[in-house]
Amino acid sequence: MSDISTEKYVEEAKRGIANTVLQKALVGLQDRFGRGTAEAYRRLPEGPDLRLKAHEIREKAIAHLDVLLEILAAKIRASGGYVYFAETAQAAVDYCLAVARRNNVRLVVKGKSMVSEEIGLNPALEAAGIEVVETDLGEYIIQLAGETPSHIIAPAIHKNRQDIADLFVQKLGIRRTTDPPALTQAARKALREKFLAADMGTSGVNMACAETGHITTVSNEGNIRMATTMPRVHVALMGMERIVARLDEYEIILRLLCRGAAAQTMGTYASYIGGPRRPGESDGPDEFHLVVIDNGRRRILADPQFREMLCCIRCAACLNVCPVYGKIGGHSYGFAYSGPVGAVVTPLLTGINRAKDLCCGETLCGACKDACSMNIDLPRMLLALREKLAYGDADWQVEPASRAEGLAYRGWSWLIRNRRIYELGLKLAAAGQQLLPQKKGMLRRLPPPVQGWTQSRDLHPLAEETFMERWRRTRKG
Amino acid sequence: MREKMKTPDQTQFIRRIRTALGHAPDVTREARHLFAESPSDEDLQLQERIHRRAAEDRQALLERLIEAGKPINLNVTALPDVAYATAAILRLAAEKKPEWGEAKSIAAWRHPLIDRLNLVEALDRLQIPVHLTGPIPVDAGRAFDQAERERQRAEIIASFIGVTSADFCLADTATLVMRTRPGQPRSAALVPSIHIAVIHWDQILADMKELFALLRWDERYRPEGLSSYMSFISGPSKTADIEATMVHGAHGPREVHLFVVTE
Repeated sequence: MSDISTEKYVEEAKRGIANTVLQKALVGLQDRFGRGTAEAYRRLPEGPDLRLKAHEIREKAIAHLDVLLEILAAKIRASGGYVYFAETAQAAVDYCLAVARRNNVRLVVKGKSMVSEEIGLNPALEAAGIEVVETDLGEYIIQLAGETPSHIIAPAIHKNRQDIADLFVQKLGIRRTTDPPALTQAARKALREKFLAADMGTSGVNMACAETGHITTVSNEGNIRMATTMPRVHVALMGMERIVARLDEYEIILRLLCRGAAAQTMGTYASYIGGPRRPGESDGPDEFHLVVIDNGRRRILADPQFREMLCCIRCAACLNVCPVYGKIGGHSYGFAYSGPVGAVVTPLLTGINRAKDLCCGETLCGACKDACSMNIDLPRMLLALREKLAYGDADWQVEPASRAEGLAYRGWSWLIRNRRIYELGLKLAAAGQQLLPQKKGMLRRLPPPVQGWTQSRDLHPLAEETFMERWRRTRKG
Repeated sequence: MREKMKTPDQTQFIRRIRTALGHAPDVTREARHLFAESPSDEDLQLQERIHRRAAEDRQALLERLIEAGKPINLNVTALPDVAYATAAILRLAAEKKPEWGEAKSIAAWRHPLIDRLNLVEALDRLQIPVHLTGPIPVDAGRAFDQAERERQRAEIIASFIGVTSADFCLADTATLVMRTRPGQPRSAALVPSIHIAVIHWDQILADMKELFALLRWDERYRPEGLSSYMSFISGPSKTADIEATMVHGAHGPREVHLFVVTE
């Protein structure tokens, strides 16, 4: 598996908030795509309720995953392709390495794929002496910079044109320019050489269709069409849940994917790939491999509370409306998936305790659910994860996250059921607060261990007269 | 046969999924209810609508296509017959500059409609060579196959314009739909900097729903299915990865011209 740094959530979030370039980019991103996607849903002939229909389609597919995957595999094999079922990230990576070795692959061009980030494909190929080139422009930029994606669809959102200009001067040896078309042209030129020289192309899978036996990929740049057309070998990596039964169902998913991902009615390119080049055809790969990846998804499938998460198609619409993602940016989430989707799926894939800050950091405002192209109830699952963190859970090997918090709430529960002691406590606190620093009638700082409360806000002091006292007094009067 | 091709990794994987779903691990489940054995009422209505399309409906679809092309920078031009298409291609070939290198050459599909354009002859006047991407004979042997494929690949890479047709065009999203078959390589619509597609106006459909109804149920299209690689192309290649600024020509063609012949 690739590097996981979910433990650094708080630290990375602080860095994100302090990064002015990122803050500006996030505002622009959410302004444009957040609103654009909502508008695109409204303009659907079926209206935003099409998302409910899509949810049903996806749930039905997930409930029949065994059947659909077997049909897909049989059809792809009948068309001359290979299918491999990988239980773990390691198995998937090993399979890709074996394919690369067998075909004497020296250069791999990659279409953007979050599951390849999840399994850590790049470092493994590089360790085997194979050159790997990301070809999505955003991914290419962050690969040159030695970074990781900060958004599922717009991976280099955290870099501005000055950063990119400096990077291209250094890595591509171009004359410095900050003009986006000129920078894009420089990358186009460099990557064209790679596409034409590559021995193997890899891609993700947006959605497979069992009825026709095809996987599909969607892109605006055309890099995925290049990577799946020009090299001798194509390896497609697919999370095991990315499948629907029929083409008419797929049609609904594709329309929502384009709207959720980029507020588009249709991405520039969608490719339906069913196998390798056929006799008589002059282009297309000699070998086509599909790798179906579990890597912890089976556990999500087995838990009715979280099974819904497998409906997700990684369109990233939730990132574009999330107030938390909109401040802290994608790197805080410490894994391939950021934003609300990351806050649910990363704990489930990498360990709930380990990624506890992700699900606790979200606000439960519900914006992600409204934006979700598959109408997934992310807030419900965030709460379910927090419940596991509060009480522990043997099935998911979750330890209660904070004994102190548990104790504090048990104490509170006892206190409010013992009215006299509670009121005595209030009296003491009302007297004690006189000693605290105040300004304009507000408390500026609370003492330890609750000083965090007043770190960035003032607190109303306790009223001189409690509600109960006032109730008694006015009733008498 | 299908059982034989199953690999051990698959058997284990599927057993685990069945267990996770709460089913017996070794019992293959029924799948028929997930698929359709005959077209639904909606599918039939869609087919009916396509078959009954009159000239004025075609005209309306064409206008929708032209409108949908505008925001995505797809240039759609309606032309009364193929001679106009040839002339339009000639004009573009003369005007446009190659992106890589100086020499001009064009790659064009072997396709009934494209053949009628007589591009080889027409472009000879401008001394621009046209490479026709003919199908490769399947029984000519491995070495010939390899050499022929390499030749076509090199020709397409060297070409600054690729001329193709398409199977269909979807008016609502200005989407060209191309299935892959011998003589019609998809790289011709991908690698050259300019892609020119020529279609007949009866190939215009309204949307994906109509397309899929035909591919799934119409006997003229169903046997070929989606082919080994079906492409949707909606306008030129684009990216917004640098400060969300839209730039055309990321990896695919920078320009796409669609000529619709209305003869």
